[in-house]
Amino acid sequence: MGSKMPRVARLAAVAAAAVTLGVTAACGGASGDPAGGPASGDPAQPVTLKFWSWVPNIQKAVDAFNTSHPGIKVQLETITAGPDGGYAKMLAGVKAGNAPDVAQVGYDSLPSFLVNGALEDITQHAERHASTFVDWQWQTGVFGGKVYAIPQASGPMGFYYRKDLFDKWGIEAPKTWDDFAAAARTIRKKDKDSYISTFAANQAPWLIALAQQAGQGWFGTEGDAWKVTIDNPDTRKVADFWQKMLDDKLVKTEADMSNAWYKDLQTGGVVGWIGGSWGDAIIRGNAPKTSGKWAVAPMPQWAGSTGFASASWAGGSSSAVLKGTKHPAEATAFAVWLNSDPQSVNILLSAGYGWPSVKDTGQITNLQQDDTVFPFYGGQNIWDVFKEADAAVSGDWRWPPVSEALYASITDNAKAAVQGEGTLADAFAKSQQAMVEQLKAKGLNVVTGG
Amino acid sequence: MTGVLQRETPKAGAEADHTRPRHPRRSRSHVAVFVIPFFVVFALFFLAPIGYAVHQSFFKLTSSGLGLTEPTLDFAGLDNYATALTSPAFVGSIVRVLLFSLMEVPIMVVCALALALLLDSARARFRAFFRVSFFLPYGVPGVIASLLWGFLYVPQTSPLIDLLAAAGLPHDFLGPDTVLLAIANISTWQFAGYNMLVLIAGLQAIPQELYEAARVDGANELRIAWHVKIPLIRAPLVLITVFTLIGTLQLFVEPLVLKPLTTAINSDYTPNLAAYNQAFAQSNIHLASAEATLIAIMSFVISFGFLRMVNRKGNRAW
Repeated sequence: MGSKMPRVARLAAVAAAAVTLGVTAACGGASGDPAGGPASGDPAQPVTLKFWSWVPNIQKAVDAFNTSHPGIKVQLETITAGPDGGYAKMLAGVKAGNAPDVAQVGYDSLPSFLVNGALEDITQHAERHASTFVDWQWQTGVFGGKVYAIPQASGPMGFYYRKDLFDKWGIEAPKTWDDFAAAARTIRKKDKDSYISTFAANQAPWLIALAQQAGQGWFGTEGDAWKVTIDNPDTRKVADFWQKMLDDKLVKTEADMSNAWYKDLQTGGVVGWIGGSWGDAIIRGNAPKTSGKWAVAPMPQWAGSTGFASASWAGGSSSAVLKGTKHPAEATAFAVWLNSDPQSVNILLSAGYGWPSVKDTGQITNLQQDDTVFPFYGGQNIWDVFKEADAAVSGDWRWPPVSEALYASITDNAKAAVQGEGTLADAFAKSQQAMVEQLKAKGLNVVTGG
Repeated sequence: MTGVLQRETPKAGAEADHTRPRHPRRSRSHVAVFVIPFFVVFALFFLAPIGYAVHQSFFKLTSSGLGLTEPTLDFAGLDNYATALTSPAFVGSIVRVLLFSLMEVPIMVVCALALALLLDSARARFRAFFRVSFFLPYGVPGVIASLLWGFLYVPQTSPLIDLLAAAGLPHDFLGPDTVLLAIANISTWQFAGYNMLVLIAGLQAIPQELYEAARVDGANELRIAWHVKIPLIRAPLVLITVFTLIGTLQLFVEPLVLKPLTTAINSDYTPNLAAYNQAFAQSNIHLASAEATLIAIMSFVISFGFLRMVNRKGNRAW
């Protein structure tokens, strides 16, 4: 007993100190944070939020939030990336009643979270922030007019290429897909070991982005039914284009982001890549000796298309408020701050999380001058390319509530096509069939189109 | 003194008699103390999850319309089993591992037996060294082994492929027709040493007199191996065959790791991979549970079927 008394006393002292500290910090915080508003919590009794994410270095942004918001204490738990088991953990958490308040959820997975009843309606707390974010990114978290998630970042696509080699061979960065095919042919003639790119059948988000850029979307709603339109004319156009590239052996067929592919980036076996904005770090990290030799051009365009069109790799990623949270207002306040405060966006940007979802990137200093990134691309401000690309992503694209199944199906069927079992066009048609069955199996209403 | 002894002897005898009938009961409670922890853990972490998986396999989540309202959990009877068994991809994966078993089990048993007999032969040198070297791959975790071999199978990173190509030999390890062999190679490399050790333990239990008798009868090493050693390690041979059968039917790690490197492995390549894909990629734990249960039943039926077959009296000729 005697030995326990001091511990209790000590705890009380710590608690008292914490309260005092909280109050003083609150005085400092309140004046410096007008945006906090009603959801900033009571510093004397801070609200604790659990946050699950796998973005590297996001702890720094969380720390910055905790410092400026004494009324809310966010505890970060780093989890495995969503598709690798993180989502399964979140859904299990919602079912078991111990899910985090805020979680990292990809734009492509929000519909499946919704169908699993795992998202909290935060319309009343979030709606007023809509104008802060790029519209197509904001819309990915809105279903049936209700807001469920705050967008964080996207992966607008561009064409990374070895400018030194293109110059040597007398090739311009391709403006259209026809230019791309012609450039691919020239490269094969100039160097028997070089290819313009690989056809990454392993990479469903990449294949989907190519289709997204072409125009017609794959999923939508019609009344109270999901409409599946994978097998549509625009996607068939993409399939036929790449089928010809494969048939003429103008592209490699190795997996992207594999050891073989990294080796090819280093040796010039692959001299181009249509990739997301975060891809710059992948090239820099895996082919450091090619520094200064790369450049980025906008995605090639389809002949006859009106206006510039781009796409986003697997959409992007959001901070979603999960079902069962006791503090939806505070959770929303945190999610909004994390993804819009310039300090936080700068931290996340340098961690390589993708292209910011905020409309006004003028305050994001890392986008104006980046001394680690620009020199690698011969001094080019590559962010200008991706800013334009992000603005050119279609707002009509919708993800299905079965995107993981979609990825598996697209990858499996595209791999089969590369092996010569049918064509790429057949692959997309097969995936359409598979998605219809998948949605029906869940009890959802489905219609098809094309 | 004698009196004391005489008086004590019957007493001691009586005590001994007394304890004898009590002994089994006391040891039974001792046994319980030692065994209960095992059964508690066994029940909690083995039986309960299996029971839960079987239970889950009879349910399914159903949404309606667009799915904007929460889905309901309904009893589905055998629906999930029917879905699994009518899915060409899942049935295809079963056929694939059965083929793999047919190919891999004989390779594995022959390799392990050859290594064991070599090390056990009278002329073997540096036995301890070779035993450890053959066994070493078993110490490499399956994921690491698959990554290692993955590097050797990919043209850009493999010195092996350069050599084979230079010699004009076939060198596509990851094509649709060769990838299963590439996987068989990894598992043979990994487990042959372990199975060899099981056989060596069996060989070492054979009395030396039998070899002497055989030599007196004029048998050479080869004949001793064929007529004495192999028949006497029948039990360990059956054991490693069953191990390998179960291992091949549950093929998972190697295709999972090699999947990104090749277009020949899809997400339903083996039954285990299909169940994993359902559970963790497609969040359909109910169908995944049904598939897992089917895999377990298949492994049971095949391995017990094999045991029954080899233990039938007529088959005990050797």
